[in-house]
Amino acid sequence: MTLRIATWGTGEDDSAYAKKQDAIDLEFEQENPGVKIVRDIVPDQYPQAMVMAHVAGVSPDVMMLDASSAAVFMNNGLVTDLAPLIAQDKEFRLADYFPNVVDIGRRGSAVYAIPQDFTPVVLFYNKRLFDAAHVPYPDGNWDFAAFQKTAEALTRPQDGIFGYAFNNWMPGWIVWVWNNGGDVLNPAGTQAAGTLNSSQNAQTVAYLRDLIEKAHVSPSPSMTAAMGIDPFASGRAAMIITGHWSLIDYKNAPKDASGRPKVDWHELGVTSVPHNTPVANTVMYESGYAIPVGCKHLDVAWRFVKYMTSQKVQLDYNSTGIAVDARIDVAKTRATDPLEQEFLPLIAAARAPYGSRVEGYDFLENQGTSAMASVLLNGANPAAALARAAERIDLEFAKR
Amino acid sequence: MTRLRRLENMTGWAFVGPATAHLALFALFPIAYAAYVSTFKWNIATGSHAFVGAHNYGLSLHEGAFWNALWNSLRYTALSVPLGMALALAVAILVNQRLRGVTIFRTLYYIPAISSGVAMAMLWIYVFLPENGLINAALGLLHINNKTDFVNNASTAMWVLVTMSVFTGLGPRMVLYLSGLVGIPAALYEAASLDGATGWDAFKRITLPMLLPTSLFVLVTSTIAAMQLFTPVYMITKGGPDMTTDVVGYHIYTEAWVDFNVGLASAKSFVVLVAIAGISAIQFRLTRANLSDYSA
Repeated sequence: MTLRIATWGTGEDDSAYAKKQDAIDLEFEQENPGVKIVRDIVPDQYPQAMVMAHVAGVSPDVMMLDASSAAVFMNNGLVTDLAPLIAQDKEFRLADYFPNVVDIGRRGSAVYAIPQDFTPVVLFYNKRLFDAAHVPYPDGNWDFAAFQKTAEALTRPQDGIFGYAFNNWMPGWIVWVWNNGGDVLNPAGTQAAGTLNSSQNAQTVAYLRDLIEKAHVSPSPSMTAAMGIDPFASGRAAMIITGHWSLIDYKNAPKDASGRPKVDWHELGVTSVPHNTPVANTVMYESGYAIPVGCKHLDVAWRFVKYMTSQKVQLDYNSTGIAVDARIDVAKTRATDPLEQEFLPLIAAARAPYGSRVEGYDFLENQGTSAMASVLLNGANPAAALARAAERIDLEFAKR
Repeated sequence: MTRLRRLENMTGWAFVGPATAHLALFALFPIAYAAYVSTFKWNIATGSHAFVGAHNYGLSLHEGAFWNALWNSLRYTALSVPLGMALALAVAILVNQRLRGVTIFRTLYYIPAISSGVAMAMLWIYVFLPENGLINAALGLLHINNKTDFVNNASTAMWVLVTMSVFTGLGPRMVLYLSGLVGIPAALYEAASLDGATGWDAFKRITLPMLLPTSLFVLVTSTIAAMQLFTPVYMITKGGPDMTTDVVGYHIYTEAWVDFNVGLASAKSFVVLVAIAGISAIQFRLTRANLSDYSA
């Protein structure tokens, strides 16, 4: 029998990641004679493709579920409740996984996904650039003003070095909003007006704009696009806010004239995002395994999910370094690396992304990114841009 | 009915049958089904659907984002169609000359029309890149330091789409104009020449009027194509920045396949259908009076 596994990605057959995946699949096939694993790789618009597969009755047997777009699947019963399978299976223990990561896939007593890995959004800093500017490394206890001061001290216009690289990508910059005491939706997750367009958020957007336009500590979006490469990866920015996945790029950073990587893995540090709130807030992007409803090979699919999220496979799989492992034992084993260790204290307070419970949240993210672009590229007023975005989002939500 | 007549009928049906079946299955049935779907509040992700009658049409007409998309489509059409037609006519006149190797140019100009829309969009992304893009690099050679991020700037993003459309649509329009130019009797130019009308006068008083039927055809088909724009928006701008390139084709696509509101998306499609039919009718009406004087 063929077990179809759907995942997002590029489908590059020669990448180290793909080779690792193939080897893991092969081992499962050897352990389960008669089972053939086929990966359906969807490079673009993965959630839409999976919903359409469900509508057309051609869902895969197992699918990767991205927390940031999981709501539509979990809220509407497009994926199987795994709780009964977990209850019957004596080999499987949900307690092996970080509890707040497991909770992303829960709805009451139902469990819709077994987490594989995740990443909190964190602040990366390049120690080489801190040392060059004689600036002490951040300890995570800093507010927006302290961050700006640090970024200013790191900026060296004559050398083309910026203290910070702002990226207009709302799933990343939402942490700035939270850490200034703001939010994007009401507590029920149903309305943006009154929250997204708050004066607090207008202040946050203005602060980020001013980092670029007044303090000149970050390249503008146009300058970043013009560079053609992430300024942090090319050693031209000392700090950036992103997820663990970026480490893959930083491992393969371009080299300078002397052959030295512009960003060296061993010279990187990780810390909390600056916060004007009592504690630092961050978001956690997670991916896990789910079984679409109507799966014809439920037993084998469950066996595959267990296999993929097992300690043995995850120790091997996560050597690619793409994320923090959802298994506590594997994450701790990998944390012998000092950089990996720095992620662990940030996990407990990390929030689930809105997309895991609010359907169509990507519309809000697109509108947020668009509002920020209109401020940064076209000089729009932050309050007006956020008000326009909130109005559009609520109109969209009202249609549902 | 004679046996011969019956045979002729059967032969006729054999010829038109496959095309009619194809049309019915892949055009008429989907249109009729879309009309049915448009009367439901239908979310394909949740499977929920409730009959709402004409509510989706009312909702469409009261939705600012849909009007914005219609406006963007009209803006794109108003910019790209006249520019595209003018350039195509100019190139058609050039490649209509009796020059050596002119067929090579005709072929070159037509290549974009037979290339994949996605591949073309990818190429144009490189033309408009802020640092290493063709435009800014060329300006750099002239010592003009321009770093405009054309695609992400609200004032230039629409022009990116228009520029791409003018060049990628050049081939088919050029061929149509070329066939129109070839069809103009040489005697008209000879007679005009005897009366002292050459160059611009001949172009204005003979070429342009005689090309009117061709121009009307190009105008109507280009307008319809412009109102249905999708691929470059999907590939290059995704409707941004700040929804300034969110044209109706892309807007309806996101309504149906990103937000899963297929009922509302179907209703919007019919509103666009009416808008396109209205525009085409106006175009026919405005040109019909002149058309009868010049058509063959």
